[in-house]
Amino acid sequence: MIGYYGHPPREVLEEARARFGNDFIDLDVATGAPSSGVLPRAYCKILSNIVDNAVNLGDRLAVIVASVGEEKCDGGRNVAVILEKMGFNVVQTTNTNNLRRPVTISTSGLSLKEKLDRIMASVVRAQPRALPGCRPTHGFWGVPPNDYSLLDLFPPTTHVYGWTRCVEAGVPSDLELELHVDPEVPTVFFTQSFCAKQALAKFLAGKYGGLCIDIDTSVTDSILAKVEAFIALT
Amino acid sequence: MILADCGTVWSKICDTGTGVLDVLSTKDVTVKYPGSFDIGTGHMAKGRSIRYENELIALIRGSMRLVEEGTYSIVDVGGRDIKFCRLKERRPLKLDWNQSCGANTGFTIELLAGYYGLDCNKLPVTGERIPLTCGVFGMEKMFDMIINKVDPAEALARFVHGLAYNVFNFCGRPEKLYLSGGLCENNSFLASLGKYTDVTPLGRDVLLYGLSEEYAGPTGG
Repeated sequence: MIGYYGHPPREVLEEARARFGNDFIDLDVATGAPSSGVLPRAYCKILSNIVDNAVNLGDRLAVIVASVGEEKCDGGRNVAVILEKMGFNVVQTTNTNNLRRPVTISTSGLSLKEKLDRIMASVVRAQPRALPGCRPTHGFWGVPPNDYSLLDLFPPTTHVYGWTRCVEAGVPSDLELELHVDPEVPTVFFTQSFCAKQALAKFLAGKYGGLCIDIDTSVTDSILAKVEAFIALT
Repeated sequence: MILADCGTVWSKICDTGTGVLDVLSTKDVTVKYPGSFDIGTGHMAKGRSIRYENELIALIRGSMRLVEEGTYSIVDVGGRDIKFCRLKERRPLKLDWNQSCGANTGFTIELLAGYYGLDCNKLPVTGERIPLTCGVFGMEKMFDMIINKVDPAEALARFVHGLAYNVFNFCGRPEKLYLSGGLCENNSFLASLGKYTDVTPLGRDVLLYGLSEEYAGPTGG
């Protein structure tokens, strides 16, 4: 099994595929793995997922392809070192690709959950065809959340912005694209709690009149009510 | 049509046919109203309303019916939470809902007043305030004051003042603020909040206004 996190370059993932097979697992995603207790309790849940998933999978992981550059975060780099010291076979990568592909999933009329699923799947395999666009009523800016139930609150006419759009464009470290929003589209700026991207989210939400939210583990009643109200009244 | 705003502590229920607004303790609601509500909001109306509306939406829609300006700030200080919205041209610009530190909200004042045998709506107005970043530490300071011979009514008024200051900060320190909820009837709170901002109380039935156009305020009872 090949574990990976962030957005490693496709060619590195292809090398791993050639050596270890076609069984990929995105370690960023919550899989119900028990807490390993390796990282602090108050910490980014995505980084905790990486370590908890890796520890839970143990020897089944032939290799971990780790994003450690600007396309991920300092936490990704630190976690790579920790996993290495714990005995995992870690390949550290950076992804500085700046050649943008056109995005069509982010602007399509698929459900928001389906959009994010397809975009994140595109890290390991190219998505086959372009999708027709839809006129946006709302925007979702940010990274894929730990708790995907957040995405159920949005209508299919929600366009995707931020890092997730950068992933679809194949340029995960493109800060300029990450900052792009459509000013007239009411947008929810989402980050995980304890994430450095909170600074961008707060700045952009203030600039464009969006809703800034952060979630640690799972969606709370307060977050649910705020997002529902924002979507219903904008 | 039966409209209900059932908070953790207090419920506001109105039959729009009679216009009578019933404000009662939430623990008594099931006995007095065993059936379903037509439209409900609030923690305790979930699961027993034919249509349920989230409290922030009810608050915003209700305030839109009661406030003429397009750009304003509204806050609802409830029994265990604080809901806030800043609207610009009648669209939400900033939304917040703090339900993590219930110690800072209405129910705590009622508990403390009940313990000392005080009427929480007849507390003095004081220039002093207890820092309430943490409600539990705030209560500790209040008890210390009482041990050191400060009159319990004065100590609780300082606690209320601290809450008012917290609400002001929570709302982003606006020049003008519309207030919803039971604390609209608490003169000590209103005067304390009025030290920082131009406060306009809208009453405790704002969320009912937001549930249906049929609700036009209490008309009987």
